[in-house]
Amino acid sequence: MSQRKRSKGSGFSQGNDEDEDYGVSQTPTHTQVQRNLERRSQDQVNQKVSELVQFLLVKDQKKIPIKRVDILKKVIREYKDVYSEIVNRAGRTLQQVFGLQLVEIDTKHHIYILTSDLPRAEGEIMHRDNQTAKLGLLMVILSFIFMKGNSAKDGAVWEFLRRLRLQPGERHEVFGDVKKLVTEEFVRQKYLEITPIPLTDPPEFKYQWGPRAAKETSKKNVLRFVAKIQGKDPTFWVSQHHEAES
Amino acid sequence: ENREDMLSSKSNRLTEALEEANKLFSGVSCAREAALDAQFLVLASNIGKEKANELHSQMTSFDSLAFAEDLLTFMGINRIEVEENDSDSEGIPGGYLPSNAWHKLGEETEKYFRRAPSFHYMLGSFKSDPPVPRQRIERQKKATGGEEKRAMPAQLKKMEESHQEATEKEVERILGLLQTHFKNDPDTPISFFDLVIDPNSFARTVENIFHVSFIIRDGFARLKLDDDKLPIIEPLKDNKGKRDDHSTGARNQAVISLSHQEWK
Repeated sequence: MSQRKRSKGSGFSQGNDEDEDYGVSQTPTHTQVQRNLERRSQDQVNQKVSELVQFLLVKDQKKIPIKRVDILKKVIREYKDVYSEIVNRAGRTLQQVFGLQLVEIDTKHHIYILTSDLPRAEGEIMHRDNQTAKLGLLMVILSFIFMKGNSAKDGAVWEFLRRLRLQPGERHEVFGDVKKLVTEEFVRQKYLEITPIPLTDPPEFKYQWGPRAAKETSKKNVLRFVAKIQGKDPTFWVSQHHEAES
Repeated sequence: ENREDMLSSKSNRLTEALEEANKLFSGVSCAREAALDAQFLVLASNIGKEKANELHSQMTSFDSLAFAEDLLTFMGINRIEVEENDSDSEGIPGGYLPSNAWHKLGEETEKYFRRAPSFHYMLGSFKSDPPVPRQRIERQKKATGGEEKRAMPAQLKKMEESHQEATEKEVERILGLLQTHFKNDPDTPISFFDLVIDPNSFARTVENIFHVSFIIRDGFARLKLDDDKLPIIEPLKDNKGKRDDHSTGARNQAVISLSHQEWK
């Protein structure tokens, strides 16, 4: 506890470049936060909580993960000494009022996403937009990756997608530039992770699940999906089933 | 180059290649050859890792072709009954996907996801960067503010003018009346009260007194007391009045009070 005192509410941190002016290099301990909280007006803290909730809801629209740096800079600002309290309260509000979960998908770089706390109810889809179709495509890719052992080469993925009438070079009537959607948008949203395979010439890539995919769905769900599409029981695929259950 | 070949679980080629590399290494004498050997080792280990992966997934092989077909079926594909031996792309059967194919699939998929619904304000969109609109608003405000200010004085001026005009007009009117009356009947002085009192309105009476005072001040008329000590008013010819005032320097002031009761 004693070594943390120096960093209480301090601005600059040692060598933590991404935190910049709003560095919270060593986060204040719980008791420190509680003490800082007492110095602040409750109304103003609650105001910050509301602002954070709104900020998160809007930032989530495009499904691009939210960085803590942005949260500190744009919402928390001078209240950074009670940052953890504000975030916790915001998370509680999101859960109790909106049925959403604030999830940290990267504990090193402190990146958050919003997921739903509640399962999707039947016949609930109010609006028809491209998001639904994109989710379908994503599920197909995630299924392929999982069933192939949690990792698939780009060549194999695209060969599979071609069978579904998706050509990387052609403009698709629903998805437009499919290649861009898969390799850029899905990656930025952290649904997919595409990494280059070393020493391949011409360069090849490995497709895996991204952290958002892991939080928003599960291997079990994906296996259920595949089973439903193929009209089989999930236990048909022994090792995948085993992995999904573990 | 023979990557796929080496990857195949049935081949021992990787092992053979490793053994050969081992043999070759004994003949290595210079650094460049050693570097090549190191490179080969890295390559070999990568292939080895992939082979191991393949082993795992091949426990229960996944028929992706069948999966693709089943997906198309789910999406509502219309399979054309045309026998085509050479289709435009190898191995892809004919068929026509309806336009809502992916939406249909997406709807099914939603059930397996816990995606947070996108939050949108019901009454219009939220711009996540306020600075730009704000600047515009500020500029607009400044612009309209200026205009408004300019408009205001113009309006006021008009009002003030109309007031003055009204007063002047009234004064002139009364003077005109006075002169006309006097012209018609030069010997009869006009009772001040007869002139100013409006039997119907006290306020109007006061206004009349106000206007008459201007006439007197400017020397167009003169107030006198008649034999009964009641004020009478008679118009003066301009020159005379002014000259008189100047020479004598006499300026008299009179305070006339008229209460409502008295008026009545």
